[in-house]
Amino acid sequence: MKLFEYQAKDVFRENNIKIPQSYLIDSVESLEDGLKEIGVPCALKSQVLRGGRGKAGLIPLVKTNEEARSEVARLLASEHNVSKILVEEMISIEKELYLSITVDAKKATALVIACVEGGVDIETLAVDSPEKIMFEEVDIIAGIQPFQCKNIAYGLSKDKNIVSQLSKMIYNLYQVFDKYDAELVEINPVFITTEGNVIAGDGKLSIDDNSMYRQKKYEMTREYFDSDMEFEAALEGIPYIQFDGDISLMCAGAGLTTTVYDLINYADGSVANYLEFGGPNYRKAEEAMRLCLKNDSKVILIVTFGTIARADVMADGIVAAIKKLQPDRPIITCIRGTNEIEATKTLKAAGLECLYDTEDAVKRAVEISKASTSSNGGAR
Amino acid sequence: MSIFIQKETKVLIQGITGSEGSFWTKHMIEMGTTVVAGVTPGKAGQMVEGVQVYNSVRDAVKEHDVDATMLFVPPKFTKDAVLEALDAGIKKIVTVADGIPLHETVEIRKKALEAGALVIGGNTSGVITPGEAMMGFFPYWIERVYKPGRIGVMTRSGSLTNEVTAMIVEAGYGVSTLIGIGGDPVPGTRFAEMLPYYEADPDTDAVVIIGELGGTMEEEVAEAMEAGIFTKPVVSFLGGRTAPKGKRMGHAGAIISGGKGSVEGKIEALEKAGGLVADRPSKVGLLLQQLLNS
Repeated sequence: MKLFEYQAKDVFRENNIKIPQSYLIDSVESLEDGLKEIGVPCALKSQVLRGGRGKAGLIPLVKTNEEARSEVARLLASEHNVSKILVEEMISIEKELYLSITVDAKKATALVIACVEGGVDIETLAVDSPEKIMFEEVDIIAGIQPFQCKNIAYGLSKDKNIVSQLSKMIYNLYQVFDKYDAELVEINPVFITTEGNVIAGDGKLSIDDNSMYRQKKYEMTREYFDSDMEFEAALEGIPYIQFDGDISLMCAGAGLTTTVYDLINYADGSVANYLEFGGPNYRKAEEAMRLCLKNDSKVILIVTFGTIARADVMADGIVAAIKKLQPDRPIITCIRGTNEIEATKTLKAAGLECLYDTEDAVKRAVEISKASTSSNGGAR
Repeated sequence: MSIFIQKETKVLIQGITGSEGSFWTKHMIEMGTTVVAGVTPGKAGQMVEGVQVYNSVRDAVKEHDVDATMLFVPPKFTKDAVLEALDAGIKKIVTVADGIPLHETVEIRKKALEAGALVIGGNTSGVITPGEAMMGFFPYWIERVYKPGRIGVMTRSGSLTNEVTAMIVEAGYGVSTLIGIGGDPVPGTRFAEMLPYYEADPDTDAVVIIGELGGTMEEEVAEAMEAGIFTKPVVSFLGGRTAPKGKRMGHAGAIISGGKGSVEGKIEALEKAGGLVADRPSKVGLLLQQLLNS
């Protein structure tokens, strides 16, 4: 789960990492309190999870109250799904740095990444000038040691006062990484102010989904998702991505679903939604089909090849879902794996089109999606 | 021969009395796996499928020789179960749990590396040597998928593995040993770390790698090929060629970051090292024929 900047900064503050003064607003009315608290000039930072907010015009700097009001109105009405804005004091910046902590999968360590250039795209920098990036491997069992914090801090600055503040920031950031089961915690940029203070200019905190059971502080709400459908699917625990094509996918397994997605693109078809109907969700045919039917797709393509996710159970679920939901578009099935013979019998008895080869099934779905705009029962 | 597990490999099962544990123990035995003992805390003295249950791994290894252990343990308790097995000196561990906390997967791998042990998984179906034995859950009874043969298979995926393996069989081949490395961002063992075993196995002629976008495991395979650590033919299939950037498609490990981890980068590395990369599952068999008949 990716947190918003304001949430990451709350966590930073609680863990003694300095952040700029700020005030969170959600309307033009609440802006007035924000302006009283922070004053102008200030930065209006849209709280959205996408990257590149600055370039997209989602972080305007304003000099007057009038300007602030019109910008807030613009942001809240924009198509970028902005519901909260962080009104933040302007900081006079001497220098910007980069700092993050993630895991190194190969070495099996935590990894602190730092750079004397901040506010940049670190992945681009890693390709263009890797020599500018510093790494410090941290034993995830022992945790970060003070000398390691100093190693990085000395690499970032020669100033004694700054080094001392940076060391503390790195130490505290590691505590956040540890406490919050983070897959990534990032401050980009770290501000070194003209007064010689070290402050977190931005904040990213991404919590590992597998650890959410012990990170109960954050509830899943609509604002974390790009669309209503993705939110609805997440509440069901079904992996789902919204696209705008013609074929709804209802496939089992991340690898197979991704492969079917590729095969459709190769065949010049288009995907309406990516949906994983497998693993723990193989008994959720009805929920999965309901999501697919909410799309403007022309056909639903079901491809599975399961072991624990038994084919016969999935087939029973699909037939029951069809009875209940009365789908208005054709459904192509390609269901294999444990008890596949029983599954085929069930599907055929219900009048469904059964294929056994993934590529044949994809071809058929693409054909149907292109054939006609009217769908009156189709393969049913 | 084959690698990691054979008929005579003595297997312990942790979490044997659970519904999943007992169900798959039955299948493992039916397939021919030598299951010597089971562990579930507090259930000592019980029998599951004719297998004696102990309270702890320490108790079980006092009474039995154990070569490998299979964990049917929920993700929350997996780290502890792995550490328990390592503590008892077991060097081959398979964990199928889907949902192990990320930081704990890092700890598991670190401890395994320190102990010189192989932990396979989590988030996998396990390991199978068709016709001999398995640790995990595979539909081994489906002949068109799990036919014994001379092709090694390594994979990050579950159902896609059934799909691709069926294509290997359709092309006239079979599988020596299939290792499910698993879909977690930090698997206990990485593709390249299994290559020396396949290299040394006289019964493996070539290896098929079923990869995915994200991470650097496929690039490491290319490095091992370039370095001459692995000299047998390699055919890969990689899902996610057309995946849009920035969307989390596929497994949690499958996030593209910068140039690294992209499918294009992986294909380039593998081809440069002399491997062939299939753009769809049905091509895997053809590419194998091309390499093995040349």
